[in-house]
Amino acid sequence: MAHPIELACIIDDDKIYVNLVKKIIEIKKLSQNLIIFKNGKEALDYFKATLESVNEDRLPNIIFLDLNMPIMDGWEFLSEFVKIKNNFNKKITLYVVSSSIDPRDLERAKSFNMVTDYLIKPIELKRFEKIFSREVA
Amino acid sequence: MLNDLQLNSILEDFDVAYWKINLLTKEISWSPHFNFLIGNPDTGGDKFEYFLNNILHKDYRYDFREHFEDLTNRHKPFTAEIRLKLENGKYRWFECRNLKSREKGLADAAVLLFVNIHQAKRDEYTIEENFFYYRETAEMTSTGGWYFDVDTQAVYWDNVTKKILECPMDYEPNPHDKMRFYAGDHHEKVENMLKKCSKFGVPFKMEIKMRTLHNREFWVRTTGKPVYNNDQEIIGIRGVYQDIDEQKTNELNLQNSLDIIASQNSRLFNFAHIVSHQLRSHSSNLSLISQLLGEAKNVEDKLDLLLNINDISENLEEAISNLNEVVTRQNNLKKEKQLVKFKDALEVVIASTSSLIKRENAEIIAEFDALNEISYISEYLESILLNLITNAIKYKFKGRKPVIFIQTYKEHGENFLEVSDNGMGIDLDEHGDKMFGMYKTFHRHPEANGIGLFITKNQVETLGGSISVTSTVNIGTTFKIKF
Repeated sequence: MAHPIELACIIDDDKIYVNLVKKIIEIKKLSQNLIIFKNGKEALDYFKATLESVNEDRLPNIIFLDLNMPIMDGWEFLSEFVKIKNNFNKKITLYVVSSSIDPRDLERAKSFNMVTDYLIKPIELKRFEKIFSREVA
Repeated sequence: MLNDLQLNSILEDFDVAYWKINLLTKEISWSPHFNFLIGNPDTGGDKFEYFLNNILHKDYRYDFREHFEDLTNRHKPFTAEIRLKLENGKYRWFECRNLKSREKGLADAAVLLFVNIHQAKRDEYTIEENFFYYRETAEMTSTGGWYFDVDTQAVYWDNVTKKILECPMDYEPNPHDKMRFYAGDHHEKVENMLKKCSKFGVPFKMEIKMRTLHNREFWVRTTGKPVYNNDQEIIGIRGVYQDIDEQKTNELNLQNSLDIIASQNSRLFNFAHIVSHQLRSHSSNLSLISQLLGEAKNVEDKLDLLLNINDISENLEEAISNLNEVVTRQNNLKKEKQLVKFKDALEVVIASTSSLIKRENAEIIAEFDALNEISYISEYLESILLNLITNAIKYKFKGRKPVIFIQTYKEHGENFLEVSDNGMGIDLDEHGDKMFGMYKTFHRHPEANGIGLFITKNQVETLGGSISVTSTVNIGTTFKIKF
């Protein structure tokens, strides 16, 4: 098992899902730390604040972004995040994670350069491990 | 005077042949051109009988003999249109008449002229034929002609136009009420195009609504083109009306059906999306749990995971009951509309939400004087009011007593209902387009389930209405329903 990554980020309003992923990450020791946001707005506020503090340690190596969320959904977050992303030096990998199997959502997600892949829930444990191991490799 | 030779040559040039008949001996001599036309046949002596049997079309034999005898025995003028078989075997039209003798001395002879009128006859047939086609086409397509005199403002119609406009055939339109035959809401359009055509010569072709003598409104397609006099001044407009009411009505019905289908389709899409998303998110969580259960090392971990299953089952049940609610609302469609009093519907809603109203100390002010009832499905109206009122209370401005103002009114013949509150409001620039979508929630509110406005919009639209919203953050929100 490779060394875990430093910081992973989940943006999702489904509490049960978040709890389960948290457990997986703990059990499999995939990441040293984890930050969780309930919607796009909370996450965006965090990233904007990080930008001002110039402390890139607080930036995650990997983001799992849900699409359907209240207040600010995944799409809105993406279009806002694109604007500030280039101010970060750290490489951030972003996965869209949704239970939507609508092909239009898939197309739309792929239209963003910064989206590495579109993952359909549920994600298998092995897939999770692979994604994380790719980050540290 | 011209001699016979010169005369013959002139007549030939004009394609005119003649007979010379000696009235005493009844002897007939044919002009050279006549002989030439019929191919210099050998007549075997009796020219008249040969002509009747071999040259003249049989339809005219009887008449020709009668006329000929009248001419030769009684000096009656001879004039007839006949067909002759020429040298090439084809029949051609000729006009046949006697040359009137001005000189008495010539009374012992008669001259019968044969003038080729084939071209003229053919033109006549063509015109008649064209006229036939024109008339049949006009009748069949209900296309009538009209003329508008720019100077006198007089209007002229042909018979088909009168028929289209349900006017008797002897009806003559009066210049003063020429607009009377157009539907009221199209007057401006018509005046405008008549003006443009009569002033600037702009032709037009458009679909407008007209009104018959019996005040029935119907759709026509009309064209108009300027008519110029010799000085190139516009003196009138000429055009046609085509009755396209049936096509237009079908077209409008089709568009209507298309709109309904499109809206149902979008609802279905929305519904499919919800089913996919809402149900799949739970099932995917279940799948994650089962994977984790396989990995779990000890009993505590397993028990911990089992607790999650409980939550999932609760969420799943709620999702299904929400979906069920949507389906049930859709099925209510089959119910009949009836007159519903707004006051009655509101009373039902207030009674069912009395505890919420009391708890939040909400005040509801209603003004239904301008429009106190409407033909609607009462369950729908109650459900719409219920959703809008509970929303208004749910999303009140913290620390402010919720006040809800409900008003009905008529505007441009349409019925409206407005529900305004003094609540927290919503940023429409950000959320406007998603306002009525399913499972869209905009507030961090535990009771926001994202289904109320979706259902409200569905109900309003199912009965052919529309709903819109205006809002100001921290001031309040107004929902406006057009029935």
